[in-house]
Amino acid sequence: MSGAAAALDRTVARVLRWGIGASIALLAVGVVLMVATGVDPLGPPPPPFDPTEIVAGILALDPLPFLWLGLIIAIATPSLRVLASLVGYARTGQRRMVVVSVGILVVIALSVALSSVAV
Amino acid sequence: MTVDLVLVAGGAAAGAFGSLLGLGGGVLIVPLLTLGFGLPLREAVGVSLVSVIVTSSAAAGVYLERHVANLRLGMTLELFTAAGALVGGLVAFALPERVLAGLFAALLAYTAFTMARRGLSRGAPSAGPAAAAPVVASAGTAGDPTAIADALSGEAPAAGEPGGEDAAPRPPRRRGWLAGSSPTSSMPFVASLAGPDYVIGRFPVGVIGSVFAGVISALLGVGGGIIKVPLMNLAMGVPLRVATATSNLMIGITASASAIVYFLRGGIDPYVAGPTAVGVFLGALAGARAAPRIDVRILRLLFVVVLAYTAVQMALRAIG
Repeated sequence: MSGAAAALDRTVARVLRWGIGASIALLAVGVVLMVATGVDPLGPPPPPFDPTEIVAGILALDPLPFLWLGLIIAIATPSLRVLASLVGYARTGQRRMVVVSVGILVVIALSVALSSVAV
Repeated sequence: MTVDLVLVAGGAAAGAFGSLLGLGGGVLIVPLLTLGFGLPLREAVGVSLVSVIVTSSAAAGVYLERHVANLRLGMTLELFTAAGALVGGLVAFALPERVLAGLFAALLAYTAFTMARRGLSRGAPSAGPAAAAPVVASAGTAGDPTAIADALSGEAPAAGEPGGEDAAPRPPRRRGWLAGSSPTSSMPFVASLAGPDYVIGRFPVGVIGSVFAGVISALLGVGGGIIKVPLMNLAMGVPLRVATATSNLMIGITASASAIVYFLRGGIDPYVAGPTAVGVFLGALAGARAAPRIDVRILRLLFVVVLAYTAVQMALRAIG
């Protein structure tokens, strides 16, 4: 394995570790707050995700924004990993892998677009 | 105990058993949430996908640091698994829940069958828990959690180490219908995906299988390692350890592509997904640490019974 490939492996691994670490930390805080405030997970469904209420909710120690953020970071971490790979491949001039990376991100973007349109 | 803590405990049990038995987390989480907590199947699938992302990404990070996973191969194939997962995620919202329940029952029955067969084929007496550890380690053909166990416990051998299965160059193995007349690819790009000691064969089979794995993952909320690992190992000639590690890497983006669909369509309840994901993560950690000290043979047989029972319950749900 070349030095560049090994370095890229380490970079991508770091992205995954930090992403999942942050996600689990936020989810854990959300769960603790759920227990503290007596939220019933099987009760009425929570209001839909609203990004404008995240900061205020966090300051109010509402469990919901912590949970939303944790979930979003978990779902986004694999895409961030692809983005890190894209940068690495572009730096080392591996054009075919750049195309593959862009292709994956296009599929993810399509996923967002098609789901949003269909809502 | 409050329901949220029960969810954490249930997720932890699913994570622990998954890492001990080499089962996909989704195979356990979805029945737990549907049959145990009465959640709609589609919602359980969304929650399961998040848990699958968390555990597989954590394991993939460790595997990449040890250079066991093949990043280039994984990314190339995940282009197709992600496309399949996108289609599967959209289709899942159009299918009646009874159809999904029927598909899940089939998956459970297949998993129970493969576990039972593996248990029988490795049924020779052993010296106890220590001897059972390799059984866990070699169960990677069944899916991703073994890799999670190996990775989170820091026991994944690096490429080239004993047990890494990279000791000698080898062409793709020929077995059954997967055997073709031209196993190795002449395409320069595909050839460039090879590892230091192996070449990549039957790339078109890998592409088709990856799309299929993506669809199944999105429909049923599983990682799809049960398809990807044998596909890479048996059809494409990737060593088992590398295939398992690379499958973990691919699962993240595969599950992510469909989790986005579930998330944006309101199919993921954060009050259920949060406790479950935390529980599964902690359970996988605990299972990984306990694996070397536990004789999983009896546990495996008991679990075959549980899986078979769950498959019947799911089938009954499908029939209505």
